Amino acid sequence: MEFIISKYNYWIYITLMMVGFYAMIGKRNLVKKLVGMNIFQTALILYFISTAAKKGATIPIVAHGHGEAVHAVHATQYVNPLPHVLMLTAIVVMVSTFGVALALIMMIYRRYKTLEEDEILKATK
Amino acid sequence: MIGQIEDVIIQTFCRLIIPFMQVFALYVIAHGHHSPGGGFQGGCILGASFILLCVAYDIGEAKGRMSEKLNVMLCSLGVIIFGGIGVVCLILGANYLDYGILHKLLRVDVPQARSLGILGIEIGVGFAVMAAMISIFLNLASRGEHEEAIEWE
Amino acid sequence: MIWQLDLILLIFVVICAIAAITVKDLLSSAVILGAYSFFMCLLWVEMGSVDVGFTEAAVGAGVSTVFFVAAVYNTTRRTKD
Repeated sequence: MEFIISKYNYWIYITLMMVGFYAMIGKRNLVKKLVGMNIFQTALILYFISTAAKKGATIPIVAHGHGEAVHAVHATQYVNPLPHVLMLTAIVVMVSTFGVALALIMMIYRRYKTLEEDEILKATK
Repeated sequence: MIGQIEDVIIQTFCRLIIPFMQVFALYVIAHGHHSPGGGFQGGCILGASFILLCVAYDIGEAKGRMSEKLNVMLCSLGVIIFGGIGVVCLILGANYLDYGILHKLLRVDVPQARSLGILGIEIGVGFAVMAAMISIFLNLASRGEHEEAIEWE
Repeated sequence: MIWQLDLILLIFVVICAIAAITVKDLLSSAVILGAYSFFMCLLWVEMGSVDVGFTEAAVGAGVSTVFFVAAVYNTTRRTKD
């Protein structure tokens, strides 16, 4: 029990990820699948961001970084900025895949006049 | 959706808020190298201001401000700025996108040259992202025809 | 990082995610997904990653919701599940 409560955030991330995964494989509407993919991606990014967080640390911006005398930067005072930079790229990829998928869904709707997967499969037979 | 609703409250409010959005976007682009933000975020906000114009008025009004040809040219201009700064660094004898070497060209010291190089890169990224966002929205909202082709069902 | 605020925001995020995939109207789904993105942005800023939170607020809650609404208006609002 203590194992679950002390790591509550990881359990919630996994729950969120599974919600997205269920929507990707369980829902029949194509737009709902896309919503599930978005939820899955943001849950994954949330996990990576949470690995960067520390207790008692501030945001990774060096105040008065230039101009005045240079003072030493202690790494324990700042959260780790490396996962932030990696996940920034993931967000850019997320919005571009979202736009491309919406364009494909619009082309599918123009051809088959429906967004339900089973009706599209029936029409292609 | 677009061009069907003529609401004076929405139009006046959008006319008021769009200049502030654009000034904020330019602030985000210009301060991207020592505060949160940067070329991508500023370009997104700059594109969102044009998308707001499309939604509040209609696509024709927005295309009067920024035509399709200008949009595509800005998209490629951003890529050219990004690649051009890198190639200039390469020609001056350093690595690709090694801005420190630009002090020979700009006649400032090396840290100032690095700061100006990053600013140039972010301006290029901002142009490209703004044009790409507007282009994606216009293609999605008008079914790829760039006309007023939106009706229910 | 305050764990009470963290837990409240995580519960809101899970509620928004479940609502976005169970609602029977795609336009409502678009708006709830925008709210989900905004709660996610608050969560990231609370964890100290201001850059990612800012990007998500500009892209996820702003531009991609507009893309979603434009695509839903051009296709159909109805969904069976």
